[in-house]
Amino acid sequence: MKLLKQLRPEVKAAREDVIVFAVGGYKLAIAAGAVKEIRGMDDLHPFKLGGISAQIAKLKYTLERNGTTYFVIDAAQHFRLPASNASRVMVLRNTPTGVLVDSTDRIMEISTLHALPPAFTHEERGWYRGLAVVNGLVVPIVNHNAFLNRSELEIVRAGLERVRGVVSV
Amino acid sequence: MIAEGDKSYVLFPLGEKRFALRAETVTELARPDSVQTFPHRTPLLTGVLVRRGRIVPVCDVAQVLIGPTAPAGKFYLIANCKIGVRQELTAVPVTGECELASAASVPLTGNEPPYVSGMLSLGDETIAVVALEKLICAEATT
Repeated sequence: MKLLKQLRPEVKAAREDVIVFAVGGYKLAIAAGAVKEIRGMDDLHPFKLGGISAQIAKLKYTLERNGTTYFVIDAAQHFRLPASNASRVMVLRNTPTGVLVDSTDRIMEISTLHALPPAFTHEERGWYRGLAVVNGLVVPIVNHNAFLNRSELEIVRAGLERVRGVVSV
Repeated sequence: MIAEGDKSYVLFPLGEKRFALRAETVTELARPDSVQTFPHRTPLLTGVLVRRGRIVPVCDVAQVLIGPTAPAGKFYLIANCKIGVRQELTAVPVTGECELASAASVPLTGNEPPYVSGMLSLGDETIAVVALEKLICAEATT
């Protein structure tokens, strides 16, 4: 009985809309509810702030929208992939984060979310909420909070405040 | 006739060499299926297979057992493997047909890698019994 329980894969049954996007030739998906807007590359400002750029190399641009500064992350770099041809920015909801991706595909509904198999033990455990299987294809569902996590956000904010303080003096 | 003390093993080829897994851990030998990949950083894992609605990670043990020149796998040996506290199916690419054999293990010399749990002597051939979970865990921490 115990063995059966241990063998049972972790699967969460919950219908959810996700947006499929591509990075470096891979198809991934993000919860539709986590995305506020999908836009082109216009109005992006290169982010260059000495120490911060070195610490968080995946942070490439900022984007000003309605008085909020969004920090735009290169998804290819986040997933440790070779540089790709980013053409779209997914602006996330409830976090000042944007994500550079190669393309966005479609919204689809998933009905189950499989846990990432425990054999995957490295950074990917933080990258994904789980895996969905759609028509036999495995699509990782990303953890949108991992693109720029809380501590990284603190570093960026502190750095920006420091710079703004210097400028205002 | 199985001698007392003999156990069953699944012998699998990787290139010119053969290795063994304890038979009770093996659930099936699957035909080639499309391995699906996504970004990750865990060594040895090449992707996942979907088998009967389950997602099975594919672990290319040949990289450790025979090195980077290993030929491509022709089949997948799917075995139960304890990862942490959970039993999990893991697919191992093998380069040819497998064989079920019974044999007694010969004593280890102490010089074997930690993922070798025993040695089998079958005729002129000495075959290492692989403890899959130890191999995966050792590589995962590198």
